Amino acid sequence: MNIENTQSQMRKGVLEFCILSVIKRGEVYPSDIIEEMKKANLNILEGTLYPLLTRLKNADFLTYRWVESSSGPPRKYFSLTEKGAAFYKELEQTWNEMANAVQTVTKQNGRLNATVTGETITVHPSSGNENPL
Amino acid sequence: MKKVININFKGRVIPIEEAAFEQLQKYTESLRRYFANEEGRDEIINDIEDRIAELFDEEVKKGATCITEASVSSITASMGSVEDFEQMDNDGTTSSTNVHRSASSTSSAYAGSEETTRGSLSRNGNDKILGGVCSGLANYLKIDPTIVRILFALITFGGFGTGVLIYIIMWIILPIRDLKTNVRKRLFRNPDDKVIGGVAGGLANYFNIPVWVPRVVFCLPLILGVITSIFRNAWFDFDFEPDFVFGGFGGTLFVTYIILWIVLPLASSATDKLQMRGEKIDVNSIKNAVQEELGGGTVKERTAQMVEEIKEGAQKMSTAITEGGQRVGAEISSKSKAFAVEAAPVARSAGAGIGHAIGVLFKAFFLFVAGVIAFALLMALIGVTIAGVATFPFKGFFLEGTWQHVAAWGTLLLFFLVPVIALLTWVIRKIIGTKSGNPYLGYTFGGLWVIGLVCFVILIASFGNNFRVSAHEPQTVEIIQPASGKMLVKVPSSKVKIYGRRFGLDEVFTMDGDSLYINNIRLRIVKSTDSLYHVTFDKRSSGQSKEKAMANARSIQYSLNFKDSVLTLDRGFTVSEHSKFRNQRVAVTIEVPVGKRIYIDKSVDRLEWHNVTFNGPRRGNWEWEDDWDSRGWNDTDVEYVMTEDGLERVDGKDKQQDIKNKEQSIEEEMTELEEQKKELEQKEKELKDQKKENDSLRYRYNPNQQKAPEKNSKQIVEKINTNSEAPFQPMTLNAL
Repeated sequence: MNIENTQSQMRKGVLEFCILSVIKRGEVYPSDIIEEMKKANLNILEGTLYPLLTRLKNADFLTYRWVESSSGPPRKYFSLTEKGAAFYKELEQTWNEMANAVQTVTKQNGRLNATVTGETITVHPSSGNENPL
Repeated sequence: MKKVININFKGRVIPIEEAAFEQLQKYTESLRRYFANEEGRDEIINDIEDRIAELFDEEVKKGATCITEASVSSITASMGSVEDFEQMDNDGTTSSTNVHRSASSTSSAYAGSEETTRGSLSRNGNDKILGGVCSGLANYLKIDPTIVRILFALITFGGFGTGVLIYIIMWIILPIRDLKTNVRKRLFRNPDDKVIGGVAGGLANYFNIPVWVPRVVFCLPLILGVITSIFRNAWFDFDFEPDFVFGGFGGTLFVTYIILWIVLPLASSATDKLQMRGEKIDVNSIKNAVQEELGGGTVKERTAQMVEEIKEGAQKMSTAITEGGQRVGAEISSKSKAFAVEAAPVARSAGAGIGHAIGVLFKAFFLFVAGVIAFALLMALIGVTIAGVATFPFKGFFLEGTWQHVAAWGTLLLFFLVPVIALLTWVIRKIIGTKSGNPYLGYTFGGLWVIGLVCFVILIASFGNNFRVSAHEPQTVEIIQPASGKMLVKVPSSKVKIYGRRFGLDEVFTMDGDSLYINNIRLRIVKSTDSLYHVTFDKRSSGQSKEKAMANARSIQYSLNFKDSVLTLDRGFTVSEHSKFRNQRVAVTIEVPVGKRIYIDKSVDRLEWHNVTFNGPRRGNWEWEDDWDSRGWNDTDVEYVMTEDGLERVDGKDKQQDIKNKEQSIEEEMTELEEQKKELEQKEKELKDQKKENDSLRYRYNPNQQKAPEKNSKQIVEKINTNSEAPFQPMTLNAL
């Protein structure tokens, strides 16, 4: 059991949720999703994003249309379908429950490791010198 | 210095370094393989490639002259490598958080697609020539699929097709799956470095040896064949039969080459080529290899895993056995259905595979024929060259004047030797794989050869001129008529003793110092016009002019002796280097009166080109040149008697032979007649049957009118024929 593994698992779990929430705001170009995630300090490889989008699209959660671009061939812009919106709703609910649960549980330790504000998460690295005991 | 190429990548023209391009190809290829099982594989790859193209475009717009390896590396790093994806996936499969579970429901194919399957044998849909059986087996055994393919081919070739049977059975039984070929280095045919099929080039890459080594090994039987046939067949008669191809060692190599040609895939893409060359052995790859080895955990973990697997397997087995009985039937039917369904698309690839094999076999066949012809030509050339060298000591006797000598040398060296050297150079070059560094070499060879050709033509022309005219000088030998009525013909052993080194050309010429020994002598026996024996001989020679030819003929030193009814002929005569060889020859004619006998001694065989000719035209109108080619001959050590019809054997052997021959011909004619008779009988019978049938039909369909017009009955027969055929046709179709 190493720390990196656990961390990446945690990240991965919320990845889909985060991507969907970016797309929910409106039509978006995949590399813009990457940018936004980067800004939020949630790094994701582009190579993993495309398969994910394709799978979501094939599951009818997403749709796309071709948008002409000034610099070359048209680009794919993704948006949520109704089914996708419903799916997102469910995920959001789950997430909120989870967040609450996590918060409640971690509060017991008297420490706040993460704050959840709406749709973005900000991870505060724990200062490390504080002993939970 | 790096080569930059322009590529059209997703609708954008991108200048890219060649090495970077290969890297890019390798990357996309790896993605393709990684996503092989994904539903939207092409779409995903397209999206990724679009994005990469966009990034390239941006870079070019920013002012980069071309895409370098470094930029490809950075871009692929940001896209993520297959290893990155794998890591993510593996994490995903082991985690079981609530959130992920909901996600994985939408992307069930996400996990497990690229697991290296241990313990389950299947066919590989990703890498196949026919049905993917071999590469599936290879995947199971974790070896290069090529090795398995070669083994299969060997079993097929050596085991009377058992390989095919096993293959088909496995094709039916095994399920198809997309597997990764997890081998560091693969055996390909190398299209960049090939002489015939690129097999040697691929082998060289695989075993990391210089390319000429496998080539020499494959060529070895050929080279040995050339050398041995040079030694075995000393002068003229070369054995062109291609033992070297079918015999033992050589045959094996030949077949091996063809098998490899069929079995090995051609390294067509950059990835193939990289795989063919294999990875460089450096710290990184060793590290990778070690990590891979340790990937499954420590040995302890592994053994635990194994135990688990075995347990699982046993459990599965027991359940399978209990359930299996009922399911076997259904399974087989579904399997066969699946096979049938699969067979349709596979048929094409299978067809392509078989087509490839047939194509290779055809190619090999034609190459083989061409090779044999080329080999024969080479051998003939070498043979002529050797013959030329062999006849060179004689050239003094043939050639006249400096120019002829020069032309002779030119012909030998340039006309015959140059092509041999050029061919050998070419073969060695091909084997070693160096390209001609000197473009003028070909021209040089060509030029020299043309000079040689000119020499050859001059030599032939001027040499032929020396034989333009022929002359003869007839002489008569005075003889005393033998009292016993019988003449003996003998050829004593040569007066000229041959010593020292001897160059022999079929014993026609023998050289001894400065004189050439010729035994161009012919013996002819004809019927005498009177009741006396006559012996004449004719000295003949060719020459540039009538006078020269005559002089040559006169200079022939040939003598006959007659003593005590024994005619002694010289075995041959000599020609000095001064008088030259101008086709000097001697014809001896013996006239035997009717009723008298002549005994041809065994020693007459010593006349090498002796032709004892009987019953030729009478004296006077005997033209030597015509007669020289006539093939009259007879046995020696035989006594003959002259009759009105010509010479006959005293012991009557020839008569007996005649009778036998006649008997045989009569017999043959008889059997032929017999056969003809049988044939005719058969025909008669057929015709009779036909007539009977006709009559019965006529009766059946027209009982009132006994003698219907023939036309009508024919029509009826036709009708019957069509009628009887009609109901049968659908039946046969159904039966099929």
